[in-house]
Amino acid sequence: MPKIQFIDPQDVRKAGEVTFKPIPVNQYNKTVEEEKANFSKDDFLRIYHDMVVIREFETMLNEIKTKGEYNGVPYNHPGPAHLSIGQEAAAVGMAYTLGVEDFIFGSHRSHGEILAKGLSAIHKLNDDQLMDVMNKHFDGKTFAPVKENFKGTVKELAIRFLIYGTLAEIFARETGFNRGLGGSMHAFFTPFGVYPNNAIVGGSGDIAVGAALFKKVNRKDGIVVANIGDASMACGPVWEGLSFATMDQFNQLWEGDMKGGLPLIINIMNNQYGMGGQTCGETMGYNIAARIGAGLNDDQLHAERVDGYNPLAVIDAYKRKRKILEEKRGPVLLDVLTYRFSGHSPSDASSYRSKEEVEAWQAVDSILWFGAELVKAGIATEDELNGTRSATTDLITWGVKLAIDPVISPLMDMEKYPELIGDMMFSDESVDAMEDRPVEVNHPMAENPRVKQLQTKERFAFDKDGKPFSKIKQYGLRDGIFEAIVDRFYKDPTLVAYGEENRDWGGAFAVYRGLTEALPYHRLFNSPIAEASIIGTAIGYAMCGGRVIPEIMYCDFLGRCGDEVFNQLPKWQAMSGNVIKMPVVVRVSVGSKYGAQHSQDWTALAAHIPGLKVCFPVTPYDAKGLMNSALQGTDPVIFFESQRIYDIGEQFHEGGVPEGYYEIPFGEPDVKRKGSDVTILTIGATLYRALEAADILQEKYGLSAEVIDARSLVPFNYEPVIESLKKTGRLVISGDASARGSFMRDLASNITELAFDELDGPPVVVGSRNWITPAYELENSFFPQADWIIDAIHEKIVPLKGHVVKSNFTAPEQIRRSKLGV
Amino acid sequence: MAIPVILPRQGQSVETCIIGEWYKQVGDAVKSGDILFSYETDKASFEEEAKEDGELLAIFFEAGDEVPVLTNVAVLGTKGEAVDEFRPGGGSAPAAEESKPEVEEAAPVEVQKEVVLVDKPVGDVKISPRAKVMAEKLGVAYEQIQGSGPNGRIIAQDVEAAAESFPKMTPLAAEKAKAEGLEAPKETTGLGGRVAAADLMNYNPVYGDDFEVKKLPNIRKLIAKAMHQSLQNSAQLTHHLSADARKVMALRKQFKKKLEAGEISQNITINDLVCFAVVKALKKFPQVNTHFIGDSMRWFKKVHLGLAVDTERGLMVPAVKNADDLSIEGLSSQLASVAGAARKGNVDPELLKPEAASFTVSNLGNYGVEMFTPVINLPQTAILGVCTIVPRPKDLGDGVYGFVPMMGLSLTYDHQALDGGEATLFLKEIKEQIENLTI
Repeated sequence: MPKIQFIDPQDVRKAGEVTFKPIPVNQYNKTVEEEKANFSKDDFLRIYHDMVVIREFETMLNEIKTKGEYNGVPYNHPGPAHLSIGQEAAAVGMAYTLGVEDFIFGSHRSHGEILAKGLSAIHKLNDDQLMDVMNKHFDGKTFAPVKENFKGTVKELAIRFLIYGTLAEIFARETGFNRGLGGSMHAFFTPFGVYPNNAIVGGSGDIAVGAALFKKVNRKDGIVVANIGDASMACGPVWEGLSFATMDQFNQLWEGDMKGGLPLIINIMNNQYGMGGQTCGETMGYNIAARIGAGLNDDQLHAERVDGYNPLAVIDAYKRKRKILEEKRGPVLLDVLTYRFSGHSPSDASSYRSKEEVEAWQAVDSILWFGAELVKAGIATEDELNGTRSATTDLITWGVKLAIDPVISPLMDMEKYPELIGDMMFSDESVDAMEDRPVEVNHPMAENPRVKQLQTKERFAFDKDGKPFSKIKQYGLRDGIFEAIVDRFYKDPTLVAYGEENRDWGGAFAVYRGLTEALPYHRLFNSPIAEASIIGTAIGYAMCGGRVIPEIMYCDFLGRCGDEVFNQLPKWQAMSGNVIKMPVVVRVSVGSKYGAQHSQDWTALAAHIPGLKVCFPVTPYDAKGLMNSALQGTDPVIFFESQRIYDIGEQFHEGGVPEGYYEIPFGEPDVKRKGSDVTILTIGATLYRALEAADILQEKYGLSAEVIDARSLVPFNYEPVIESLKKTGRLVISGDASARGSFMRDLASNITELAFDELDGPPVVVGSRNWITPAYELENSFFPQADWIIDAIHEKIVPLKGHVVKSNFTAPEQIRRSKLGV
Repeated sequence: MAIPVILPRQGQSVETCIIGEWYKQVGDAVKSGDILFSYETDKASFEEEAKEDGELLAIFFEAGDEVPVLTNVAVLGTKGEAVDEFRPGGGSAPAAEESKPEVEEAAPVEVQKEVVLVDKPVGDVKISPRAKVMAEKLGVAYEQIQGSGPNGRIIAQDVEAAAESFPKMTPLAAEKAKAEGLEAPKETTGLGGRVAAADLMNYNPVYGDDFEVKKLPNIRKLIAKAMHQSLQNSAQLTHHLSADARKVMALRKQFKKKLEAGEISQNITINDLVCFAVVKALKKFPQVNTHFIGDSMRWFKKVHLGLAVDTERGLMVPAVKNADDLSIEGLSSQLASVAGAARKGNVDPELLKPEAASFTVSNLGNYGVEMFTPVINLPQTAILGVCTIVPRPKDLGDGVYGFVPMMGLSLTYDHQALDGGEATLFLKEIKEQIENLTI
């Protein structure tokens, strides 16, 4: 909360009432005859054509799924096909007015939207632009089979390219729009403004908001449309996205040309069912989905319901709403009413709806109705419409034959290139700035108060005589993180950072102190307390080409953005066939002292998910170097920090933390203390307790411990650990995570496989107990302590003469605890 | 004042010796010149005399111990004097000398070096992977070690301690013991007391214990090894030929007369004369006066003649350096000298190395052997066996046949180094030299 906003008790305690404006429902009432003034014959026919193409495309998929053939072409498609037969008018109406620079995001049921937006973009791009797009995509790999022997116009060629690229993608072919790695539910094609469709219901509900944020913050042309279903309006992340999208600060705090709302349309493709659940009457209570707008901001999201069975009604709405967005009064919510004749999926027996209902909607089929209207209005003849339909059947038949041809459209050759997918998990690029233009900052970096203050700090913890400087004099871990981030803010104009309390407060742990002074609002701001939206918007922001540091404060809040961190952030680089980059550095802080829901180390959760880089630096030198690497890269990083040690000075790197820029590569564990008798490998702040244990081992038992800090979890290079084991043969792995299922266990298992013959005892994991984290006063019974490490060595690796154990590391106890699940 | 008795160093290449026998016991009075103990290198055995009078105060190593040279093995002095300052490394194992005392103070865990042996049921051996690898590498039979790790697990430190303090197995023995479930016997024959594979042999149940196991003397083991290696590592074959011995027999008769007459002091034997002839032949065939060393050969400028000598302890082959510089008397004298030393066991070990000689003569003529196949003393390329003289019929000219004393010559050569033709010509040259020997 900024100080300039005054909460006046007189004001907020006044009596009054909240009033709503009426929300329009199906107010469009023009006839085709009346619309002749706004549409040419070509326009009308194109609308008809696009709807027919979508209908035929999906009919084909339906035939293949249910009958194993289409138009005499047999094929077995084992993958999914969530069809939207019946929704064509809504899709075409949505896409009709959109420019190439307008982005759409979709759902699992988005074939129609992809085709509608693609056809719209093809209409708007000139021949040279289209050829350029087709030639450049995967160096013409998708285009090659399409252009072979083709003699028509470039636009016709582009339509074939769109049909083929989408279909090959659905059929998992290497020539598909995303090399076959996206598939039916995730297919997309960014050159036509088609951004990822999402198999998680409501998945686009926050990602699209991030895309709109990108457009706004980086002054890009165009708007963003989030096509999400009526049932997704129940999803938390969608609400979080809406909350994020309607923050007051856009209008009240953002300055200059940044003032104003996001260029975003939440387009509810309201087919009135969520799988088999009827949203109106059964699973939701909004009755009319447009009602939702009223609850979100004063503008009620300019919400209205539009008849999605009339393409002209949808087009009319988009023309009107676009104006609102151009006036920076967004976002907008549209409730586009439609209906699908097809089931949720081919296995859907439609047990949840009556035959009469489906027939009633088929009786008002938008394609039949619109065609009849065109004939009635004298715009087209039956023959012309028949011609369009039969040409479309030919087009789709051609597309199927080409896309299922195993020679022309092969699957990825995983036998010949077994690491093809592995090579796509990370983009591993090194990029100073995502765009080349001046950065927006409030003052030169040298004038920043925090930067100035850091010049007076001691960058190494000890003086010449080895005596530690006072805590206040020491350059701490938080300073290392700050330096890397402030440096990047002055290098990369696209970089933004946000999360809870990031501005004014300076971050809950004072890492960002000084950034508020340096940066305008649109580069550093407070988000709602809505982690799903914090990460989800960051994903959308990065997908569109920006770099972003979302912060979720406590590690424990990872669960609040589970889908975003586990399903979205790690997947899109590989699912796009490496079209998309994902330079998102998620800052996550592991707490202590705050009990069960604020003290957990969930590194294992992040490390388990393929596609995320994970690091946990615990010295100022490592923190700055790894943050620099994270921010220089193009991959998603979960950057763990520990609240125990934000103030800790640099105790290891000789000469202290360098003032200049340097990178520490991901994946390299670091030997913090050399030793010869036992290796202690740590994750996170446990390093300092391991060093304590090493001191005791040396002094009391004459055992020389080598202490290695893992620093990174993904990637991880085992070689330095194996080297250490060659010396010591003994290994303890310690970290603050609950031991069961932890990354420590993964390390132990891999090391056992890799260095079995070096081991003089089993690698022993000393993690936290499998309990709730108790109060601070009891934490020593929960988190690994120095004496636990010594006890574990004594009990499991080498008995220490005269040692008296305090904790129970015996095998029977381990079995007992496991039996009890604690 | 007490003085230490050190194990002398016999030859540059000798690193350790094995104590043979103690002739004096702790408490015995010793006079300067008394023999204290005997010891063996891998080539010869020696006796060590007391350098001073006194009482033998302490003995640090037992018979059979392998001891690094220049190590204190005993202390001489006056009764009651302290001996601990001379004790090597403070322990009985030679390797203990290496252990650093500060480690012992700082690392109580590592100090626990004593090895406890226990009977464990077969298959009930817990050992860490690292310890197992180490045991196999060091040839330690680990099955019966009491492990010091958790639950009695044998860990690396146990194997280290065991390696220092009890019969190590040769790698072959360790493998055999494991494969066949054999136990290490108390008596061992391997180098440095290691348990050798042969020690693990199951006794024949038919004969029971109707035999006595005798340890091979060191020299026997060495000979065995050298002979085995010679036949394994070279392509040996033997050519036989006889030489008319009338000339050498006549020369021998002349020298005998001269000796009796006091004209010469050296008893010049038939063997001396044959050796003299061989030296001359070698000068003509330098390709035989060589060592074969795989990808190259050493061609000697001088002839260093090895002489196979049968001793009580076994076969020894001392060398006479620069034999081609010697007159027949000189050669005879040198041959007698090295053979005598070899029999007494005090020959310079350097002269016993196979590398010391460039060619060897082995004479079994005295024993009536008519033909044999001597084994090459590698890396030498050939060896001449001299056999007994037998009368054989010979064409004396003009169709007259008579019995002539013929000396058998057996030349074994390494076909890797020499071809049959060369070897034959060389053997023929020896025959010529013997038949036409002039002094």
